[in-house]
Amino acid sequence: MNNNAKNRIMVVDDEASVLITYRLILEQQGYSVGAFSRSSDAIRALEGEEKYDLVLCDYSLEDQHTGFEVISAARKRDGCIPAALLTGYATRETADEAASRKIVIMFKPIEIEEFLATTAKMLRRNDESNQESGQENSDSQSSV
Amino acid sequence: MGERVATAEMQIQLNGRRGSKRRTPAALRLLEAERSEAIFPILLEEIVALGHHRAVVLDVDFDTGGVTPSAALKWPRQQVSKFGTQIWASDNPITGVLNSALPAAFPKTTIHNRPLYVHPIFYSNKSACWEAERMRSANCLAVQNFLREKRIRLEEQTCSTCDMRAYASVIVVELAKNNSEAELADLAQIIELANRCLSRLCKVEHYYNRMRDMEITIAQMGTVMQSMADPVILTDTQHRVIMQNRAAERFFKVPDEMTEGLIRAVELNNMLFAAALSSMLVAGNEAHRDLTLVDAIEGEEMLFEAVSGPTFGPDGVQVGTVTVMRDVTDLRRADQELWVNYDKLREAEEMVRQDRDRLNLIIENVGDPIVVCDSAARIVLVDPLAQELFGSSSEVPRDPVLVKNQNDFTSYISSFTFSFAERETAPLRIYNPAIKQVIEYDARSGKIFDERGQVSYTVTVLRDLTALRKVEQLKVERRMLEIEKFAATGRLAATIAHEVNNPMEAIKNAIYLLAGAVPESAIPVYNILKSETERVARIVRQMLGLYRNTEQVKPVSVNTIVEDTLLILSRQLQRANVELLTRLRVLPDAIIAADQIRQVLSNLIINAKDAMPNGGRLHIRTRHIHGKDELHSWVRIVIADTGTGISAEMTRAIFEPFVTTKGEKGTGLGLWIVKGIIQNHAGKLLVRSRMGKGTVFRIDLPVVRP
Repeated sequence: MNNNAKNRIMVVDDEASVLITYRLILEQQGYSVGAFSRSSDAIRALEGEEKYDLVLCDYSLEDQHTGFEVISAARKRDGCIPAALLTGYATRETADEAASRKIVIMFKPIEIEEFLATTAKMLRRNDESNQESGQENSDSQSSV
Repeated sequence: MGERVATAEMQIQLNGRRGSKRRTPAALRLLEAERSEAIFPILLEEIVALGHHRAVVLDVDFDTGGVTPSAALKWPRQQVSKFGTQIWASDNPITGVLNSALPAAFPKTTIHNRPLYVHPIFYSNKSACWEAERMRSANCLAVQNFLREKRIRLEEQTCSTCDMRAYASVIVVELAKNNSEAELADLAQIIELANRCLSRLCKVEHYYNRMRDMEITIAQMGTVMQSMADPVILTDTQHRVIMQNRAAERFFKVPDEMTEGLIRAVELNNMLFAAALSSMLVAGNEAHRDLTLVDAIEGEEMLFEAVSGPTFGPDGVQVGTVTVMRDVTDLRRADQELWVNYDKLREAEEMVRQDRDRLNLIIENVGDPIVVCDSAARIVLVDPLAQELFGSSSEVPRDPVLVKNQNDFTSYISSFTFSFAERETAPLRIYNPAIKQVIEYDARSGKIFDERGQVSYTVTVLRDLTALRKVEQLKVERRMLEIEKFAATGRLAATIAHEVNNPMEAIKNAIYLLAGAVPESAIPVYNILKSETERVARIVRQMLGLYRNTEQVKPVSVNTIVEDTLLILSRQLQRANVELLTRLRVLPDAIIAADQIRQVLSNLIINAKDAMPNGGRLHIRTRHIHGKDELHSWVRIVIADTGTGISAEMTRAIFEPFVTTKGEKGTGLGLWIVKGIIQNHAGKLLVRSRMGKGTVFRIDLPVVRP
């Protein structure tokens, strides 16, 4: 829980009810959540001060926009930010693109336990890489 | 006069008187003659010695009928020639004497103006010759002539017994004018004496000639025998070889170069021959035996057919056996080959007959019109069905429909007959009078070639494709319908699922969020809400499962997928008291979507488990099935349970969407998805079930060999 509190997660979904429940579930777990129903809002948020540790994004968004656009924006700022697409259906091309960009796909309806486990796993991996760099820092610090 | 001659005293007196002239008596001189030619000169001398003027001998030639002078004494040749005559001359005294066979004296004749004594002589003897005696024949010409029981006929002067050519002559003596009877008797006597000597000498000479002839014959026969290629052997009654030809010597005579082997071969041949001879003699006349002999020179075995016959002596007693052997080695070989060939021929004939019967049976049962045409594309044979279309092959059809059909067919078959193709299949539209409609036939034609490679016949089978086409069409339509149905159902399900999906997601999440905030009294209601929502989520998930076409197909080990799936489900199975029995054989990798196959296996295994509420056995087997060709093979997965089984009606329906045997618990989509996935993989899915015994699902996934 304490660990979760450190992490800020961006959730994007054009269905308001879905978006709210995702946010509530993630907040219940102690995460800090930024929820957006429009890709443009999400992208703008990513360009602002706020720093996110994970992006969970619906594939099909408003006005033919896709989740890839949001993730691209997130990656522009943080090249190795973990990201997942939430979708009911994915074409071969979509799946291929996601795989090549190391984006996880979670199919709706998502078992909540699975949803939470995957989220935690993605954040942990990100933490580890961060910690590795942190350790390097501390090592250098200790040597100072 | 008779007394003078008759008494011994007279003889002595005569001898005494002639003794002074140192003359030998006539009888003695005649007896001393060694050759028949010597007789007539002596006789003529003795006639003259008796005091007659002169004498001539005329010989009868039986062949020409001529009577010509052959010897004369004191008679010039020119004068003698006038006595020459023919035996059929009518008023000739000499001919008369010959025909009467009695001597006669003529005072004066038309041919001679002095008295003549004419005496005929014939081959005669008072005892039969040896040959007639030996043969106990009474027909001895000499005796017949001597006895004169019947008239002597000049044209029959050949002995029927010994075949001797007899003689006849006439002695003509010119008499002094008044000869006494005694003088004539003396003359007659000396002529008869001479004739007796002549007959005897002729007989001897005849035998001598016959002996010479025989020698010649024997020499000829010897030559013939020697020149025979077949061995000929003459044996005596003791089976000792009397005579054999060169061909026989090759086998039975010890050769000059004495090698052990040759001698043994010859000895063996002799033994075999003697044995064959004995058995043949027992068998009787003209017996024959097969005899294998060794050629002493070539060393080859040869097969002979020996034919032997007895030879008899003049007295009719068997004196030996002649055996002729024919080399039948080649003959027998040829004979054997002939039999072998004959047998082969009979077999072949039998086969041909069977083939023909079979063919007839086939033709009768084909149920399609069959037409046989000759090399000129003329119809020569039709079966009853073809006859309906073209009429009988033997008569020219009058029905215009049949004429048109024949023309149509002939134009097709002509182009085929003269084409280079050995067989051809072409559509042919022909009006069928029986059902009064044009039918599209599939004409399948083939050629029959003669041994020179020329077309001798063509055979055409007309297949009525109407029914077949209809069935094909129906099949295609049904398949299209099924695919369309599946696709439509799938699309519909996907759309529904998609539309339902987002609200579902929200509801599900909301229920999750409510978990802690539900008052105790509402918990049963909350649970219903939760479980039913989960069920709908499951349905949606499964429906969309098919369309999550996200996975790339790649070579995967099916056994690994099976093992992975079982690892996840093993605890569930254990809890349900299901015994798991697996037999996974070595498999090639199959190019498949692993997740989809995992879902297939999972669906089938869960179904199997649910079919065994009281536990049971679950068999999972994999194996590699080889296709008929080199290229294709299959990976087979068999999932068999010992559960409740599925009824026959249900078996047909279970792959339809929303059909379930599990009541409320099932989504009715599991097997529909299984079917869809297997079809997407170009695989085959088969189910067999027996109520109360269990259910077997069999999946075959194609493997393309590298």
